[in-house]
Amino acid sequence: MAPNETTSARSPAMWMRQDFVAGLVVIAVAVFAFWQAADLPIGTLGGMGPGMLPKSLAVLFGLLGALLVLDAFVETSVPLEPWSIRGPVLVALAIVAFGLTVRPLGLVVAGPVAIVIAAFASDEVRWVETAAVGVLMTVVCIGLFKFALGLPIPLAPWLIGY
Amino acid sequence: MFDLIGNLSLGFATALSPVNLLLAFVGCLVGTLIGVLPGIGPIATIAMLLPLTFKVDPTSALIMLAGIYYGAQYGGSTTAILVNIPGEATSVVTTLDGHAMARKGQAGIALGIAAIGSFFAGTVATLVIAAIGAPLTKLALLFGPAEYFGLMVLGLGLAIVLARGSVLKAVVMVVFGLLLSTVGQDLETGQERLTLGFDDLADGIDFAVLAMGVFGIAEILRNLESPETRNVVRGHIGRLLPSLADLRRSFGPIVRATGLGSMLGILPGNGAVLAPFASYTLEKKLAKDPSRFGKGAIEGVAGPEAANNAGAQTAFIPLLTLGIPPNAVMALMVGAMTIHGVIPGPLVMTKNPSLFWGMITSMWIGNLMLLIINLPLIGLWVRLLKVPYRLLYVMILLFCCIGIYSINNNPSDVYFMAFFGLVGYVLIKLGLEAAPMLLGFVLGRLMEEKLRQALALSEGSFMTFVERPVSAALLLLALAIMVIAVLPTVRKGREEAFQE
Repeated sequence: MAPNETTSARSPAMWMRQDFVAGLVVIAVAVFAFWQAADLPIGTLGGMGPGMLPKSLAVLFGLLGALLVLDAFVETSVPLEPWSIRGPVLVALAIVAFGLTVRPLGLVVAGPVAIVIAAFASDEVRWVETAAVGVLMTVVCIGLFKFALGLPIPLAPWLIGY
Repeated sequence: MFDLIGNLSLGFATALSPVNLLLAFVGCLVGTLIGVLPGIGPIATIAMLLPLTFKVDPTSALIMLAGIYYGAQYGGSTTAILVNIPGEATSVVTTLDGHAMARKGQAGIALGIAAIGSFFAGTVATLVIAAIGAPLTKLALLFGPAEYFGLMVLGLGLAIVLARGSVLKAVVMVVFGLLLSTVGQDLETGQERLTLGFDDLADGIDFAVLAMGVFGIAEILRNLESPETRNVVRGHIGRLLPSLADLRRSFGPIVRATGLGSMLGILPGNGAVLAPFASYTLEKKLAKDPSRFGKGAIEGVAGPEAANNAGAQTAFIPLLTLGIPPNAVMALMVGAMTIHGVIPGPLVMTKNPSLFWGMITSMWIGNLMLLIINLPLIGLWVRLLKVPYRLLYVMILLFCCIGIYSINNNPSDVYFMAFFGLVGYVLIKLGLEAAPMLLGFVLGRLMEEKLRQALALSEGSFMTFVERPVSAALLLLALAIMVIAVLPTVRKGREEAFQE
């Protein structure tokens, strides 16, 4: 997020306070959960329906979120840290790429793909090294998980049939 | 007494079979290997290595898993001493004097005394489990739904008090965990709840996936942000075996810490977390010259390490006797047991005695193995720790992916892991701690079940929780510790304790 807030560390602007933002996020999640549970019957205390606990917990969660927001007004809260985009996005992408490729293409493809994408999450990425690690780690993992431990993870179904 | 000996010998007969010995060995070794990696604590290690145990029979699987657990614990201490990076909350204390010793060229002695202290604590804790396991199981059979519910409320109360940072935020996270636990089919009607239309969520959120996301992946994201400042101890590890004078100085702390750790570990709500802190504070108070602490006092390593290990082990007691996992690691054990068709709880001991006692004795064997295999391998761990993080995290990531995929052979678990990794990152940024959430999640389903049963029995009257003396006492205790935690004076003391 925009770090245009100067270092007036004592009381950061409200939207930059960690507790304030945390409280808002909690309230949003609570509202979402309650909305999702809206159709579930709550039943009675003696015979609870499926909706009783999700709904009451969502309400409680929302109230606690509101308390966090209030707390941010009363006590000086820590300022929000800057967020990075590159790391989270690329790491998530690498994991999703692994999930997408592991079944149809096997570990032979999924391993290097995940490693290469993940390597770009760090700003110290080096091409040759990354490629080497990708290949080496995949070989190690195949040896370990597939052959030593016999896990049923596909190797290269398009090439060798399993 | 004869019971105890008979039971233990049954256990040794099981645990000492060649296959089980080999699996315990492999578990300890692999557990340490992964546990040594910076930023990987026992929870992520076990979640990652869970699939390794699928191929063997239940008893052997649990023995191997216990080995992985102790290996991961010990690996975490190694990282704490050598690199000053605690793998998890309980090894924070070890970094203080352990790393100071390492800088003075006594890394070997620090690691040696950690192993010896852990072994002693493990031996005593094994006996404690064997001795009070059986009586507690009988007590458990007297527990009705209301008592179970009360006990779990107490566990959550303790988790809140023991969490770092503000009490309010810890409560928020426990409730978040409870809310997450309601995802999936309703216990009675089978109606889908909060699944957002995903079929894969019908059985609820997989605990290993959640734990791996918020502990494994989010930790990588956190580490990627801060520029690497790892200073692996250079030069000499030094001699491994402590001198007689060192041993004499460590003996008292180890014995006291073992007692502390064993007691705190039994508490539901991850009391084990408190053990190393308590031991460190106690030794500092008892020391003739407290100023040595923080500068490489061997007592500051021996005590907390012993306490840590004792607590880690007695934490099995609530799981094996009552079926209540007191912390996230034990919840993973529940997952592993369920996969093998064993339902943790008071019946395990009577229905499957060789599994129960085999696992308990294998704890002791695992501790012995750690002592034997790790001392010669320390050089290897040091070299592993020198690998730059930009290479380590891609490996960790691939292990996480393969591990999670292999649990159910389901790619959607991998996607959910990525999602919870991002959730964990947001939680870190918002200053919300994941540990209380995980415990809320772990206990949530069981609490709902017991709450519904209790209220169905009482026809909807909450009075049942107050009228039954045991449940009333447990709830009162939970209320008391919560009140104490928010009292201003205690709050201040708590902040100081965590600052140390």
